[in-house]
Amino acid sequence: MKTKSSNFFAIILDNLIWLLVLAALVIFSSLSPAFRTPNNLLATLYRSAYLGILVIGQAFAMMSGNFDLSSESGLALTAMVGGLFLATTQNGGLGYEVAPGVAILIMIAVGLLIGLVNGFLITKMRMNNLIVTIAMQMILRGLVYIISPGATASFFPKGFTWLGGGNLFKIPMGKGFLGIPAAAIFIILAFIAAHIIIKYTQFGRNIMAVGSNPVAAKDAGIETDKVIRRVYLISGFCMAIGGLLIAGRLDSATPRVGAGLIFPVQAAAVIGGVSLFGGRGTMIGAFGGLLLWSILDSGLSIMQVSPFWIEASRGLLLLFAIGLDAIKVKGMHRKALEETLATSQIGLQDTNVVIE
Amino acid sequence: MNTQDTNSTQSPILVMTNVSKAFPGVQALRSVNLCVLPGEIHGLVGKNGAGKSTLMAVLMGITDPNEGQIEIGGKTFSTMNSREAIDAGIAYVPQHVAMMDSLTVAENILAGELPKNKLGFINWKKVNQEAEERLKQLNLQLDVTKKVEGLGVAEQTMLAISKALFGNARLIILDEPTASLSRADINRLFNFVKSLKDKGVAFVYISHHLEEVFEICDRVTVMRDGRVVDTCEVKDIDVPQLIMMMVGEGVEDYTRDSTCTDEIVFVLNKLTRRGYYEDISLEIKKGEVIGITGLQGCGAEQLGKGLFGLEYRGIGEIKINGKEFTAKKPIDSFNEGLAYLPQDRYRFGLVGVRPVKENVTYPILKRLTRLINLINRNEEKIIVDEYIKGLEIITPNQEQPVRLLSGGNQQKVVFAKLASTKPNVLILHEPTQGVDVRAKMDIFRIIDELAKQGVATVVISTEIRELIGICDRILVMNNGRLTHEYKKGAKDTTPKNILAAIEGGKQNHE
Repeated sequence: MKTKSSNFFAIILDNLIWLLVLAALVIFSSLSPAFRTPNNLLATLYRSAYLGILVIGQAFAMMSGNFDLSSESGLALTAMVGGLFLATTQNGGLGYEVAPGVAILIMIAVGLLIGLVNGFLITKMRMNNLIVTIAMQMILRGLVYIISPGATASFFPKGFTWLGGGNLFKIPMGKGFLGIPAAAIFIILAFIAAHIIIKYTQFGRNIMAVGSNPVAAKDAGIETDKVIRRVYLISGFCMAIGGLLIAGRLDSATPRVGAGLIFPVQAAAVIGGVSLFGGRGTMIGAFGGLLLWSILDSGLSIMQVSPFWIEASRGLLLLFAIGLDAIKVKGMHRKALEETLATSQIGLQDTNVVIE
Repeated sequence: MNTQDTNSTQSPILVMTNVSKAFPGVQALRSVNLCVLPGEIHGLVGKNGAGKSTLMAVLMGITDPNEGQIEIGGKTFSTMNSREAIDAGIAYVPQHVAMMDSLTVAENILAGELPKNKLGFINWKKVNQEAEERLKQLNLQLDVTKKVEGLGVAEQTMLAISKALFGNARLIILDEPTASLSRADINRLFNFVKSLKDKGVAFVYISHHLEEVFEICDRVTVMRDGRVVDTCEVKDIDVPQLIMMMVGEGVEDYTRDSTCTDEIVFVLNKLTRRGYYEDISLEIKKGEVIGITGLQGCGAEQLGKGLFGLEYRGIGEIKINGKEFTAKKPIDSFNEGLAYLPQDRYRFGLVGVRPVKENVTYPILKRLTRLINLINRNEEKIIVDEYIKGLEIITPNQEQPVRLLSGGNQQKVVFAKLASTKPNVLILHEPTQGVDVRAKMDIFRIIDELAKQGVATVVISTEIRELIGICDRILVMNNGRLTHEYKKGAKDTTPKNILAAIEGGKQNHE
């Protein structure tokens, strides 16, 4: 019984992110010739690929009504573990110099282990997801420093750095080449895969159900704890891939990598319309959030805006996004209250009438 | 309408005039008039969905009326917010009062205005003194140093009323205050309320225990289908008249022909969960509909949840179609042929923000998934369409979030979900709660249709009239035991007898 106008309003609100992305592209392109080169646009995406993969993990968690704040440290730890196994002793490694494939498998194993522990503590021990993952963030960051050689592990084999730093192919263009970075294409594919999982699989349906009403989900036969555990496994997997991307791009693993990254991760997901209250949002929207975040970053720095203003503008964007979410939820609560009243249950159940 | 027939010399504390309120699909209030005088206890009765709670929500400023005006103590509002309602002297005391449980009575009374000493610290001695003094003014004896969570329900209610009065409330809405009280507690509460009445405080008293309305109220307003049927002096009417006004004349009860066969489908043998239910033995046949009724807390609710696997089930033997039923989790229960409709669909039955389609297919998605776990969306659409048509669910399309459907249609979506699992045994907990009369009929038809297909159905409900209409047998549960059985069509199967059996249990209990 929605009215037409509220329907229209809802559609605009739901797709607002893409309007904003478009607006940002148009504005920066018209203001700065350097911004609108294909190279820069691709590089923008390429540089934020590792951020994007964490956004995917976070979006999974948020859609299921949880948070995973440990991902920035998880990314650092997996990158460092990979680095240690790959690099030569002179370059800060342990000297194993394993094959790239083996290193990647080890990293994924570490990421999954993190997710496993998170999921176990949250579902089996009934610990609060926010606190568990904050604690995990600290523990993992500590671990990175503990295992690191005190400095950087660097100079990795080509096979390892290709996904994070390599080019898929090069298109000859005028004076030089336009490289298509593997990471840029990869992150697009990753978002598509995540979108398919959320939208078209039973698992995705279950995530949304658990996120919006865990009790009803349970009554509908969904094993809510299992869903949440799997979500954390996915998040852990994303950390490992994020570690691979960033270590590949920098061709090194530093203990500090990714520190503070969780804020942009959260911000991008929320800006993209993934609700903090679970059960709402799309992966495509989250991708839009990532794009907007990166475009703003890249655009403002190309235009040589002071980094302090960039930081402030990020905050404003986040406030704006969260304000939108709050408006949506407020409208929803109002509606829910009205509906509860409309079909109220308080009061008399007529056959309970006690006749003396 | 005789809103102001007596005490016309006294100016009323509350006058609601022509208040109307529409929700999408429901006209909840139609030109309602209500007048409450100072020092009056005004009963408000009506069936489920008659509009009582919407009216109170309007009065408390929770929802805005579409039309009409509200006059409180001389001030007139066309709309108001909660703050204005409280400032105007309206207070609401629900059945389960929400207070700061882990704080003391005194802290609760003086919250926000705790007396401080010179250093700015709280002067606890004074806090307790002052709280005691205030309670003394109302002749209420409570240990002010006790924590609120340690008080009984009646005391908490009285404390909530007192607190409202300290906040200068003049009209107090009591919503089902006696629902979980013993007779002794009811007496104490009533004495307290009457003593306040003598001091000029006005009450709106909402209750389904009509004899209490006659015991304590001065006047009573009866609502039905969003209208005020009448406002009467209590001394002028009796219980049957009141019921007649509430139910309306010529309301016919639904009945169905038995579809019970001889084949036994569902067997419970000495199912026991200590503290909840004991020694439950039952045999339900194919196509049979049985009802289980009893007081709140009699154990029927836990029995339903336990069977479905939402709670610990206890020990005992359960068989469906001769096979041992061992499901530990809801999804296994679905797979082993047992489906359950929870009581409160908003909280348990439906994932409100998700579409109709998804809500129907959660339990059967596994069957609908094809390679690498992708859902076969065509097949899903066809199945959902079938149920939308079959159960006459009114929705613009499958993608509509369920919370935007009307109550009856939401309940039908839950039924569709259960039916899609093709159950052998169906357990329904208050299936008609909060749906309108037409939707109720639809739901009865759905139950009948499923029974015809051979589903063995257990209806756990307090709506005795409805149970008599749909059930082949009605079992009464008292303190976790099945104590009485009433067969369809038997002479003794009357609401009065069944109520007596339920009430009888209560008396034994006390």
